[in-house]
Amino acid sequence: MIFSIQRYCLHDGPGIRTTVFLKGCPLRCAWCSNPESQNFWPELAWSEAGCIKCGACLRELPGVSALGERGIQIIRETPADPDAVREACPSGALHFFGERKTVQEILDAAEADSIFYGSDGGLTLSGGEPFAQPEFALALLREAKARRIHTAAETCGFVSWDALYEAGRLLDFLIYDIKSLNEALLKSQTGGLLEVSLENFKRFKKAFKPLPVLVRTPVIPGFNDSLLEIEKIVEFLAPFEGVSYELLKYHRFAGAKYKALGRPVPYPENFDEEAYGYRFDRLEDFVKKAAPL
Amino acid sequence: MPILHLSPQEEKLIQSGGGIAFSSKSHSRLQKIYDSFKDSKPAVDVQRAIYFTESFKTTHGQPLILRWAKALYRIAESIDVFIDEHQLLVGRAGCQGKYGLIYPELDGCFLESFAKQAQTRLESPFYISNESAEALIEEIAPYWRGKTFYEGLVASLPEDVLKITFDPADVFTSRYIVNETASMRSALQWVHDYKKGIERGFEAIKQDALEELRELDEFDPKDALEKAPFLEAVALLSDAIILWADRHSKLAYEKSEAESDPSRRAELRKIGEICARVPRYPARSFHEALQSQWFMQMFSRLEQKTGATISNGRMDQYLYPYFKSDLETGAIDAEGAKELLQCMWLGMAQYIDLYVSPAGVRFNEGYAHWEAVTIGGVDREGNDAVNELTYLFLEDKREFPLNYPDLAARIHSRSPERYLYEVAETIREGSGFPKLINDEEVVPILLSKGASFPDAYDYAVSGCTEVRMPNRDTYTSPCPYINMGAAVELALNNGRMKKYGDELISLETGEAESFKSWDEFFAAFAAQEKYLLRQAFRQQYAVHQLREKYFASPLGSALHELCIRSHKDLHSAHIADGIDIGYFDLIGFGSAADSLAAIKKNVFERGIVSMGELKEALSNDFRGYEALRQRLISSPSYGNNDPYADSIAKEIDFIAASYASKYAKSLGFDMDLRYVPVTSHIPLGKVVGALPNGRKSGVFLSDGASASHGADANGPTSILLSNSRTKNTAYKNRASRLLNIKLNPSSVKGYDGLRKLVSFIKSWRDLKLWHLQFNIINQETLEKARKDPESYRGLLVRVAGYSAYFVDLTPDLQADIIMRTQHQM
Repeated sequence: MIFSIQRYCLHDGPGIRTTVFLKGCPLRCAWCSNPESQNFWPELAWSEAGCIKCGACLRELPGVSALGERGIQIIRETPADPDAVREACPSGALHFFGERKTVQEILDAAEADSIFYGSDGGLTLSGGEPFAQPEFALALLREAKARRIHTAAETCGFVSWDALYEAGRLLDFLIYDIKSLNEALLKSQTGGLLEVSLENFKRFKKAFKPLPVLVRTPVIPGFNDSLLEIEKIVEFLAPFEGVSYELLKYHRFAGAKYKALGRPVPYPENFDEEAYGYRFDRLEDFVKKAAPL
Repeated sequence: MPILHLSPQEEKLIQSGGGIAFSSKSHSRLQKIYDSFKDSKPAVDVQRAIYFTESFKTTHGQPLILRWAKALYRIAESIDVFIDEHQLLVGRAGCQGKYGLIYPELDGCFLESFAKQAQTRLESPFYISNESAEALIEEIAPYWRGKTFYEGLVASLPEDVLKITFDPADVFTSRYIVNETASMRSALQWVHDYKKGIERGFEAIKQDALEELRELDEFDPKDALEKAPFLEAVALLSDAIILWADRHSKLAYEKSEAESDPSRRAELRKIGEICARVPRYPARSFHEALQSQWFMQMFSRLEQKTGATISNGRMDQYLYPYFKSDLETGAIDAEGAKELLQCMWLGMAQYIDLYVSPAGVRFNEGYAHWEAVTIGGVDREGNDAVNELTYLFLEDKREFPLNYPDLAARIHSRSPERYLYEVAETIREGSGFPKLINDEEVVPILLSKGASFPDAYDYAVSGCTEVRMPNRDTYTSPCPYINMGAAVELALNNGRMKKYGDELISLETGEAESFKSWDEFFAAFAAQEKYLLRQAFRQQYAVHQLREKYFASPLGSALHELCIRSHKDLHSAHIADGIDIGYFDLIGFGSAADSLAAIKKNVFERGIVSMGELKEALSNDFRGYEALRQRLISSPSYGNNDPYADSIAKEIDFIAASYASKYAKSLGFDMDLRYVPVTSHIPLGKVVGALPNGRKSGVFLSDGASASHGADANGPTSILLSNSRTKNTAYKNRASRLLNIKLNPSSVKGYDGLRKLVSFIKSWRDLKLWHLQFNIINQETLEKARKDPESYRGLLVRVAGYSAYFVDLTPDLQADIIMRTQHQM
């Protein structure tokens, strides 16, 4: 189950890459910028901007009703048939996030772009959490290796060690999220257990010493955007070799996706962007000076 | 965006002159020169036209090349010459400030209406003084009535070709279906063998001609009637350009006498010396070489209208010996060399390409002109040609804030890494310059045309994406644009177009409603495409026969070995050993491919709409058919590496490539398939009704070989792959495909971003695509996307770990991202 394949990705590992986003995640981060990635099943969404208000869905699809000026209401509990939705909605404003693709189909798409990979580009598995679908993710990596495609994956770390270990044998590059070392805060804001994430990280580094790992931290206002938080992570990473570290800037682009999925938009109203930007730059300066690589 | 690569922001900056600051060390001189013309409105300068016409009045009955040389001499001795304040290079073809010239021999029949509308027309208006307007109307236009190339062309076209070219009721109005461009300029883009002029000088060129003249056999009619006038013209032309330079020398000395500032006085004296020396004698220094080139370039502008593009050739090659020896002797340093080059770019910025006819101006909107400077590539032996001067040109491009010259970098499989990185860095820091031309595609094609390896290796970029082999290329006729949007409309409507009602425009291929299968429909389309090709080739055949009766180029011929050897003017229909490569453009390739794919999918496969209903929707410009339109838009489309649409696009390409290949022999020259619209996809789109890809009536067609607007949802790699996939590489009758790639500034940020850009360029090179240029997306683009989401559906906003289509975002967030992007720039 995936929700997107994107070509010409430049930020998901070395070189020019094709990123496949697997659908489903064990975490529920309050700030998630890919809300469509969280559930393991296909989800019906309605994008108001793309809707031409033709009413075809009201006539042809069960579970969709008019809401006057405000558009349509979707009874999400009614299982919808993706083909019927595609038939019914001319503009694609009503659409599914999530589709089943075979390993073959995905690797064919990746291989089509292989001339762009050069020596270090390739396929990246992202999500959701790719190793939350361990068999599928590993099959993708195995097939990529068979086709001589460079492999990378992006994980939150809250996965089974067995899956991660198997992946390590097939990966050329790993991106590992460490969001915070504050156990209580992490639990309350993401639902994840710190111990699992750190233990997996340590074991991975021990098992696959030469494999380069990029650790990333999304800097979330009010959660971990303090020097103290970032310092702790940098300190934790210091003893490991072959680890680089990067901060990701917080943004609020996903509002439309939350709305399309019929969920409340989780972003705070009063966000002082300028102050955050300043803070982020300071943190980035610190990381550049202190972090490995 | 067309060719020029003017980002909207740049265009605005250049036209308003707003806030451009020079950052190089010699900035105060450059800033002052720039300030001297930045606020001037482009003005029509009629001196060239007046003296050219006066001379022509007195030379009736003489050989055309001699008449042309005499006219040039008249111009050289009569037009005002200027030494611009602060400038180090001199020589301008018109008045101070920004100026455009008139070439009445070409399209003088439009002059009266032009004189009246020049200041108020919508596209590229020009200032014209009352006296100049009067001269155009009273003196110039009357003489040329009935003598212009345009009128000659109209008279020589067969009726059916005329009908599709011009409005039969008013031959001064273009139909924009199979559009000629031969009457808008005397020659295609051109590049002179500047090296010859710089190294030998015109005194030697003249003496060679005179010597040969003395040896002619007066009893041999060919010697008397063909060779003699040619040689006399070359000698006279040499005198003319020497005289013109000499007038500058005298003026510089005069000015130096009156100059109170000692450093400027020394500069003026030096200008005086240099202008007395070049282009008469061989240049001895970098400064002299540049001045010599600039005189040739500007005199070429006075000679004829070579479109927007008299190219500069391989400057990093022919200037290198002078640069190197001046560096060694300490006569110049890198900064000094850059200052001189930038003086030249500022001169270029003041010459504005002026189109008189309504079609001409619509095809070249925005005062477009692009004087290509070629760097990199390989030398005549096939070895990499990059040198220190190559890097200086790149450095200059990163520093110089105007978009002149049009820098073109040749790339090949052994281009050094440093070169690729500096090219990428320049693309990133400027706004996409340089454009890239691929030796791995161009050289084999030139070889297939019969060029020798050294000549093919030594090509220069000329014009927007074209290439020229100096001393080998001889084809000069500007070529037709073929409207592929119209081809679809004609196939749907049995040879008719909505704009022209019941009039049969092409040929009847059957009522679309009667087609039972996709194959039947495609056969009708193919017949329409072939019909347009047929008319285009007939048109070009006529142009080719006609041009030598209307144009001559003594300067171009004097600088061309084959012309000298055969004593033939460059415009002659055939020159021995010349390689004649013309081309025709398919305009709206993506629009046509997507329309056909939409018909195949929705009418013949899915059956969601009947042909009749589709035509009804098109005829109503989709009013009341929005749902259908949305379905059509979401059909497979070209540019996404989707075999469904790409295979149709390849068929469209095949029809044209195989046609060109079959009939090149009887034409006597190559007509190669090209996809370069300049801005013609806009006027050509205006005459085309609604199309089955969801494009509404009158909207522009797709640009070059790019995807239809908004149809490229899969990113830049797919656009390259679709281009590669849709080429018919077994045919040699193919030329450039203009390829614009938009990138988000964040994607090229930092060393990592640079490395990825280099990697992308290498893949493009390995795919053997002809041309590539980048647009680093700027704020304006996002602004437009916000106002016109439909045309920007494919615009992805990419941030690490997240991506979304820009148009799907809420207005507030769009504003947010627009702000962010601005920060990133």
